[in-house]
Amino acid sequence: MADNTVTTEAAHEAHHDDGSHDEHAHHPTERQYWIVFVILAVFTAVEVAWSYLGLEGPALVVPLLAMMVVKFLLVAGAFMHLYFDLKIVNGRVFSWAFGFSLLLAVLVYLTVFAAFDTLPF
Amino acid sequence: MSDAAVAEPVATYDADSHDDHGAHRTSLGLSNMKLAMWLFLASECLLFGALISTYLLSKANFMAEVLAGNPKVLSTMPAELIEEFREAGSVEPMWDIPFTSASSFILLMSSLTMVLAHKAVSEDDDLQTKVWLAATALLGSTFIAGQVYEFTAFFREGLTYDGNLFGSSFFTLTGFHGVHVSGGILMLMSLLFVAFRGKLKSDRAETVELVGLYWHFVDIVWVLIFTIVYLIP
Repeated sequence: MADNTVTTEAAHEAHHDDGSHDEHAHHPTERQYWIVFVILAVFTAVEVAWSYLGLEGPALVVPLLAMMVVKFLLVAGAFMHLYFDLKIVNGRVFSWAFGFSLLLAVLVYLTVFAAFDTLPF
Repeated sequence: MSDAAVAEPVATYDADSHDDHGAHRTSLGLSNMKLAMWLFLASECLLFGALISTYLLSKANFMAEVLAGNPKVLSTMPAELIEEFREAGSVEPMWDIPFTSASSFILLMSSLTMVLAHKAVSEDDDLQTKVWLAATALLGSTFIAGQVYEFTAFFREGLTYDGNLFGSSFFTLTGFHGVHVSGGILMLMSLLFVAFRGKLKSDRAETVELVGLYWHFVDIVWVLIFTIVYLIP
């Protein structure tokens, strides 16, 4: 066990030495959390206002989906620390895996909706 | 173990090795518990993805039948409501957007209080930890109360769980989300209980972070539901 501890400590030191980040080292500050919240609140207000403009088709749907994606990324990136946790050892590999999985999921859903002719735009 | 093996930074799991926040050190740089939570949330993505897809397909099918005047579908809801759907060309008249917007805002705010609770426990600030955990649980409870009110209003208007596929898929989707929020509230209350016993310190910050991950995920799902179900006709 003692040997394992030494090797783990060594790995941890090497982890810092190679410029990678500790998982808690760069979480946002309280002020940054508040800024993210204000942005989320503003986007929500704009979303609701946009839905009342009487627009139809892509003019209504595309901006709403875009704002939804921005809110999704803000919560996942800042509040869930995903932006920071992906800067871990092998983070680039995991970033690609995460991004590819997300893209694949979106494409699968779009294909299903297209197959049933229920795309909202 | 040889000297060479000690000098080589081999990433080996050690159950006794923790960082300042109580998380295990791993070769990944991310604790096993957090990785497990992310995998759990990935499986939850599949669940909610399926529920949202089912709702969208059911709604499209329902509206097609309403506009076509299918008597079997028309008989499942009050005639006045069906007439409103036909005039609008969508189920939009059913929703109370200002009320749901307020609920969405409350849930977004609970995500902020959750991260503040995590920050407070990381800094061993007991009072702030209790305040923000309690605030998060209270905001979550307010959201659930709003959902109960909304469900009651929909039921009175004629949207029922077993009336048609649109109602079933809507209540299943939003109901599942509500159950997840309720589960999160129970987790928060448990943390609050531990905090009041004086045992929620910075060495357990990762536990709060894991509950926070779950809570933010529930918030993200609502971000999707709010736009896809309520705002897009």
